Amino acid sequence: MSNLSKQLVLILAMVIGMAVIAGCGSRTEPGQSASRNTDELILAIGSEPTDGFDPTTGWGRYGSPLFQSTLFKRDHEMNVVPDAAKDYRISEDGRQWTVELRDDVRFSDGEPLTAEDVVFSFETAASSGSTIDLSNLEDVRVLDDWTVQFTLKEPQSTFISILISTGIVPKHAYGPNYAQEPLGSGPYRLVQWDRGQQLIVEANPEYYGQQPYFRKLTFLFLSEDAALAAARAGQVDIAAIPAAYADQSVKSMRLAAVKTVDNRGIMFPYVPSGSMTEEGYPIGNDVTSDIAIRRAVNVAIDREALVDGILEGYGTPAYTVNDGLPWWNEETVISDGDAEEARRILTEGGWADADGDGIAEKDGLNASFTLLYPAGDVTRQSLALTVADMVRPVGIDIHVEGKSWDELRKLMHSNAVLFGWGSHDPLEMYYLYSSRYQGVDLFNAGYYSNPVVDQWMEKAMHATSEEVAWDYWRKAQWDGQTGLSFKGDAAWAWLVNIDHVYLINEQLDIGNQRIHPHGHGWPITDNIEEWRWLEP
Amino acid sequence: MKLNLMVYGKWFGMKLIRLCTLLLALSIVTFGLMSLSPIDPVQAYIGADAMRVSSEQRQAIADYWGLDDPPHVRYLHWASAMLQGDMGTSMLYREPVADVIGERFLHSAALMAVAWLASGVIGLAFGIVAAANKGRWPDRIITWYCYTIASTPAYWVGLVMLVVFAVWLGWFPVGLAVPAGVMASDVTLLDRIYHLVLPALTLSMVGIAPIALHTREKLLSVLSSDYVLYARARGEKGYTLIRQHGLRNILLPAVTLQFTSFSELFGGAVLAEQVFSYPGLGQATVEAGLGGDVPLLLGIVLCSALFVFIGNLIADLLYRLIDPRMRKGGEW
Repeated sequence: MSNLSKQLVLILAMVIGMAVIAGCGSRTEPGQSASRNTDELILAIGSEPTDGFDPTTGWGRYGSPLFQSTLFKRDHEMNVVPDAAKDYRISEDGRQWTVELRDDVRFSDGEPLTAEDVVFSFETAASSGSTIDLSNLEDVRVLDDWTVQFTLKEPQSTFISILISTGIVPKHAYGPNYAQEPLGSGPYRLVQWDRGQQLIVEANPEYYGQQPYFRKLTFLFLSEDAALAAARAGQVDIAAIPAAYADQSVKSMRLAAVKTVDNRGIMFPYVPSGSMTEEGYPIGNDVTSDIAIRRAVNVAIDREALVDGILEGYGTPAYTVNDGLPWWNEETVISDGDAEEARRILTEGGWADADGDGIAEKDGLNASFTLLYPAGDVTRQSLALTVADMVRPVGIDIHVEGKSWDELRKLMHSNAVLFGWGSHDPLEMYYLYSSRYQGVDLFNAGYYSNPVVDQWMEKAMHATSEEVAWDYWRKAQWDGQTGLSFKGDAAWAWLVNIDHVYLINEQLDIGNQRIHPHGHGWPITDNIEEWRWLEP
Repeated sequence: MKLNLMVYGKWFGMKLIRLCTLLLALSIVTFGLMSLSPIDPVQAYIGADAMRVSSEQRQAIADYWGLDDPPHVRYLHWASAMLQGDMGTSMLYREPVADVIGERFLHSAALMAVAWLASGVIGLAFGIVAAANKGRWPDRIITWYCYTIASTPAYWVGLVMLVVFAVWLGWFPVGLAVPAGVMASDVTLLDRIYHLVLPALTLSMVGIAPIALHTREKLLSVLSSDYVLYARARGEKGYTLIRQHGLRNILLPAVTLQFTSFSELFGGAVLAEQVFSYPGLGQATVEAGLGGDVPLLLGIVLCSALFVFIGNLIADLLYRLIDPRMRKGGEW
C-alpha cells in the first residue's frame, strides 16, 4: 500500500474514531441497505485489473476469470476437476500432456471452443511478455478437434496449475482490443467497463456449467478505505477491508475472515559469510548459518501472540509456506513460545552468555543479526519488532531495519528478511528452497541447499500424478530424517498467515471459501457460481 | 496596428520557445527521476503475482518493454517517437497513452472547471464582502474560514465531506463518477452532476481561501487610498463606491491568481480524486507514479505542464487587457 493511501486510511480511521467518540447520537445511518432481494450484486473487492481481461496477459490468475473458462479447476478439497476439458494424460517421461476437451463448450457468441482455440491461447500467452510463466513449454499442438498436446522442456507436475489458471480465448474473435472487450466461454460476459470506476457483467446464457444465481454483478474499483465507506453507506454487498478495520461493525453487514496462505516469515541466510554474488553483493551470515540460532528463533517466537497482538486475531500461526494445502506436511507444526527450550537449543549448539550482557556468544561471535523488512509495510514492521522482543530474553539480539526493495535485493543474501508468500501452486516451495534457485530473484535468497530435499522436490516435479507429487512435497518438508522445515534445517521461521477480511451483506451466502492465496480481493470470486441469498 | 501585431507575434514566439524548452527540461527531469526511483518497473508490473514468475519470464518482460536499455537510450527512443506525435503505450493499461489521458482528462476537466469557476466567483465575492465589512462579523467569519481552510490539507477536507455527506447523511455517493451497475446509455447528466458535487465542492472550498484573502487585502488598500477618501468626501459609500472605484483595481490580482492557480487546482484534483475514487487524470498520475509506468507519467506530466502554462499565458494576456499600463512598458 502506498504511503499516501496509508495516510488516508489513518486519517479516515481518525475521523471515524472522532465521530464515534462524539457520539453522533442520532444514529442516522442511511437506511438504504444494499440488500435488494434481486439477482444483482455490487462488490468492492479490490483494485482494477488495469490491463484488462485478457487471460493471455495475466487476467484471472487469482479468482475466477469470469468471462473465460479454464481447462481444469480445483474443488474445495483442492482436487483437480474438469472444466472445459474432460481429462488429461501424462506420458511416461512426464513431458507430454494430452488434454481432451468437452465437445459442447461454446463461446458467448455461439461458436464452439475447439483445440485450435486452446493452442492459440497458450501460444499467445507464451509470447505476450506478461506474467504467465510458460518458459518450460516447448510446444503445444492440435491432435484433433477436441484433443491438444502440450510438450514440456522438462517434466513439471505443477504444469496442471497453469492449465487451471489460464483462461481460453477464442481464436476467431481475438484482436488488439480483446482485453477491453473480452469474449469467452465463462459464466459471465462483460457488459460494460467504466475505466477507473466499475465493471458490469451479466450471466452468459451459453455457459455450459451450472448457471450462476446472480445474473448481474457490478464490481466497483475502490480503495480499501473507500470500500469501507461504501459499506457503511450501504452501497455495496461485499467490501474487502484491511484487518485493522475488522473491529468496525457495520449495519446489516457481517464480517467474514477467510483463511489464507498469505503468509509472512523470516528468511535466514543459510550459508556462512565470505562469498559474493555476480553483482558483488555479499552472501551468507555467520550467525544465521548456525542451525541452533535458526531453531532457537523458531521455538522462542509465540505465533499465537503475533496473531492476537498484531493481526487482531485475524490470522493463523504459520509453520511452512504452504500451511493447510494438500501438499502440507502436518508434522511441521511445533510448540512454540518456549523460551526454556530455545535456551536449551542454544546451549546445546555451543552458544552461551559468558560476558553477562544478555546476548549469547560462541567463539567470540555475538548471537546478533539484522532483520530487514520492506519499509512502509506496517504489518511486517510490527511483526519484525515483536519477534525481536520475543527472542531477546533467550539471548539472541535481532536488529530490525526497514529498507526499500532495491536495497533489500542487495542485502537479502547476507541478512534475514521478512518476506510474504503464499500460492496455490507447490512450485513456490521449489522456488524458495531448491538449490537451483539460489540467489535467483527473491526466491532462494538465503542460498539454502539440502541434497535430500532437492531430491524429494525433483521427484515431485517429475511425478506424473498430482497425488504422488504431493507426497514428495510433504517429504521435502520433513521425511523423518531431514527436511526444510523446523524439524530439519529450519531454513525459515514462518510466522503467520494473514486472514483476508470482508464485510458481507448478512443475507448473502458466498459458499465454501477454500484457503486463499497471497492477494486480497479477487480470489473470493473463485466460486461465484455458488453464491446466493440466504433463505429468510 | 501593424506594429502591435509584430509585437504580439514576437511575444508569442518567445512564449512558444519558452514552452518548448520547459517541456524538454521537464521530460528529462521526470525521466531521470523515474529511472533513479527505487521502483522496479518489472516488479511493479508483476505486482502481487511475483511468486509465480520465473526469472526467465522477468527477462522476457524487461525485453518486451526495453527496460534493460540504459536510460538515455530509452529517453531518446521515447523522445523521437514523441516528436512524431506518438506518446507511447502505457505499461499499466496496455493502451496508447494519448487514449488513456484523453479519457481521464474529460472527467478531470469537468471537475476542475466547476471547482475553478466556483472558487473564483465565490472567492471574489467573499473577499469583497470581507473588506467592505472590515472588522465586523462577516469579515471575521470569512477570514476565519479562509485561514482554517488554507491550513487544512485538501484530502482531509475531502475525507470530512465524504464521511459527513456520503456515509452519515447518505445524501451523496461515496465515490466514482457514475452510478453503480447502470449502463452508460442510461446514465443521465443529472447522475453525473450528482457524482461531481462532493469532489467539486471539496476542491472549490479549498480554492476559495487564497482568492478571498488576496482580494480582501487588495480592496482594503484601495479603500484606504486618497482617491477613495476623496470619493467618500463627495458622499459615495457602500457597494456603489466599491463598484465604481474598487472593482477594476482588485480584479487584477484576482484574475492573476485565478489563472495561475491552475497548478494548485491540478494538485488539489489529484488528492480529491483519490479520496472520491473519481476516475480522473489525478488518479492516473498516482497509479502511473507508483506503477513505474514511465510513458504514461511522462505524458501526464507534459499535458499538465501545458495546462498550467496555458493558464499563466491567459493570465498574462488578460493583464494587458485589464491594465493599460502593462501594455506600455514594452516588457513583452
